Amino acid sequence: MSKIKLSEATKELAFQMEEREKRAAELIIANKELGFQNDEKEKRAAELFIANKELIFQNDEKEKRAAELLIANKELIFQNNEKEKRAAELLTANKELESFTYISSHDLQEPLRKIQTFSTRLISEESHNLSERGKEYVLRMNEAANRMQNLIADLLTYSQSTTTEQKFESISLKAIIEDVKKDFSEDIANKNAEIKVQEIYDAPIIRFQFRQLLYNIIGNSLKFSKPDVAPEILIWSRIIIGSNDINAKLKAGQAYCHLTISDNGIGFMPQYKEYIFELFKRLHDNEKIIGTGIGLAIVKKIVENHNGVITATGELNNGASFDIYIPTS
Amino acid sequence: MTNIFLADDDADDRLFFEDALKELAIPTELTLSRNGLELMSNLETLTHHPPPHVIFLDLNMPLKDGLQCLQEIRNTPKLKDIPVVIFSTTANVDTVNKTYEQGANYYICKPPSFALLVKAIERVLSLEMWQAPKTPKEKYLLAIA
Repeated sequence: MSKIKLSEATKELAFQMEEREKRAAELIIANKELGFQNDEKEKRAAELFIANKELIFQNDEKEKRAAELLIANKELIFQNNEKEKRAAELLTANKELESFTYISSHDLQEPLRKIQTFSTRLISEESHNLSERGKEYVLRMNEAANRMQNLIADLLTYSQSTTTEQKFESISLKAIIEDVKKDFSEDIANKNAEIKVQEIYDAPIIRFQFRQLLYNIIGNSLKFSKPDVAPEILIWSRIIIGSNDINAKLKAGQAYCHLTISDNGIGFMPQYKEYIFELFKRLHDNEKIIGTGIGLAIVKKIVENHNGVITATGELNNGASFDIYIPTS
Repeated sequence: MTNIFLADDDADDRLFFEDALKELAIPTELTLSRNGLELMSNLETLTHHPPPHVIFLDLNMPLKDGLQCLQEIRNTPKLKDIPVVIFSTTANVDTVNKTYEQGANYYICKPPSFALLVKAIERVLSLEMWQAPKTPKEKYLLAIA
């Protein structure tokens, strides 16, 4: 081997060594870089992991809420259904009650009419065959039958005050009052009664029902008058705005026609101011004042049909007064 | 002789009616029917007889009720002009309206005494109903007092 060749080989070796070291240094750098990138990736991964957990938690929460909402919804639907069921049941029950009242009243009239007709025939055709006492009995029987007839007629009116078609019209209240006055003309003349109609504002009403209402109240005023005092009935109306101060049942801000009918009759004890509106409730026996206990129940029902409110105030032996509030729209 | 028809399923009411007719000053002939079917078949024989002056028609009857009879009568050419007076226990607004629309001439509630029944029949017989124009609605329900 020549010397030259040796030295060249050594040079070559040195060069290669240097190259290798360079590579190694580059590798170290690359390695470091890789390590750094790895760290970053792990950091990201950890962050992602946290974010993921958060997301899962949020998702869970959402599902929980959704489930809760579903339950609440179901509950609401159930409650709604129940309410609808109840309403339907109530409607059916009401209808049944009305048709029951109607049918029973109608069917009750027939045998009653027989009693009336036979008893009047007994009096008119057979009275020569009857003792004075016998005649008295038959007369009393006839009177009782007549009372029953009134009762049935009133009950029929009561049951019809919701069933019949309801059409609201703007009609002059004054005209209806005049109409009712005509019905009582005989009574008014006999008792020397005075019905004073002052300023009257109108409201949308169901004509025949309101006529019935006025008929019953004015009729009561004439009936429950003091025996020795000429009846005085005062009727007037004005427009008011509903507020709790006037009556808790009025809708605040709603305009009402406020109709007042007051008299100077025998009145009633204040504790009965709600009792008198109940069906069949009476404050007097038939010995003193004949009645069925249905009149004011009809009045109340009619006021309710008009979405209105009625109150009564009275004092024993010091007149009665009825306040009726009917919405103007 | 005034020829009168009465359709009523109630025996007492038929008896009252017969007796009431006897109280009248004018002579009458009464044809009784116990239900709507009987009334319609009685009216069938009309082709051989002069038609009745008036038919008193109860509403609640078995087999065929008064309202059905009224419809049939008004839809049968040879019967349609016969005056029909509804004779019922009650005057429910709906029933009064329905019978008026179906062409009945008058509506009377069976009165609660014999004297009033006589009065009611007298009143109906005094009314001019043959060929008369339709009764105004406000006069349709006859009040007997």
